Amino acid sequence: MADTGRVRIRLPSMIRPGEVIRVRTLIIHPMETVQRDKQGNIIRRSYEFIHAVMVTYNGKEVMRGETTQAVSQNPIFTFPLKVDRPGKLTVTFLDTTGKSYKETAEIKF
Amino acid sequence: MESPDQLDLDYSGQSGMVQELNKKNQGPSRRAFLRGLAAILTLGAAAKEFLFGSEALGQAVPSGFPLPDETVEATLKRLFGNRPLNQGEGKVKLDLPLIAEDGANVAVTVEANLPMTPATYVSNIYIISDKNRRPMIAKFSFTPEAGKAYIATSIRLAATTDVRAVVEMNDEMLYAVSRHVRVTVSGCGDVPQN
Repeated sequence: MADTGRVRIRLPSMIRPGEVIRVRTLIIHPMETVQRDKQGNIIRRSYEFIHAVMVTYNGKEVMRGETTQAVSQNPIFTFPLKVDRPGKLTVTFLDTTGKSYKETAEIKF
Repeated sequence: MESPDQLDLDYSGQSGMVQELNKKNQGPSRRAFLRGLAAILTLGAAAKEFLFGSEALGQAVPSGFPLPDETVEATLKRLFGNRPLNQGEGKVKLDLPLIAEDGANVAVTVEANLPMTPATYVSNIYIISDKNRRPMIAKFSFTPEAGKAYIATSIRLAATTDVRAVVEMNDEMLYAVSRHVRVTVSGCGDVPQN
């Protein structure tokens, strides 16, 4: 897919200081599943899927996810974030090919 | 795998050092030899622990190679050992559709109504599906910065199954809830035989 690795972050339209908001992120990724031959044996090769999700806010870690192949293609992750001051939100995805996909969003009131 | 090659290099490096020491002393120095041997042995043990230990802990596998199939009991044992899974109804909310038409994309929401203060907080949320070949689907770790323990994502389910959410507190207390989901079309290409 040409779009592999495109990350989108969606924030609520109104953010008040001190609130716990829900941030929605989407990544375009194939998240390959294990393939099998006709006899049902696993085809042994390296599959391409996201194995880690990392969220930081102003450099502080908020959430870290370990994902497997049982997570859907083009997965969505919604996570909470406590905003008490404006800052920069960074979401990073790591996949098994060694690539990392990163997106940032500014949070202001 | 790359690691074994690196290990070999390390071994040769060590023995090379030993040989050099031996040369310097004009004849085999027993002490240097023994020291080298001990170093090699401890290095080997550490490497072994690193290689197999990490697999046992179920950490992410950056290589992308498929892992062996597992039963849900084995997964729970591997993740939580013998710690009891407390009933989490009322504390943990697990939202899933009753019937998932497409097993490849099932929306799941886990919300814990538990405190998120620096002293007491939800450290991990595990999503586990009983009938998947590898039941452990995802693990999300939180810090008190999150303000609330909540995660929503989309997962693949292999067959009609129970899905569990296990919430782990920072003091290692566990709360589990489960929901039954009917899956019309498998999300993994094939249906496990059981």
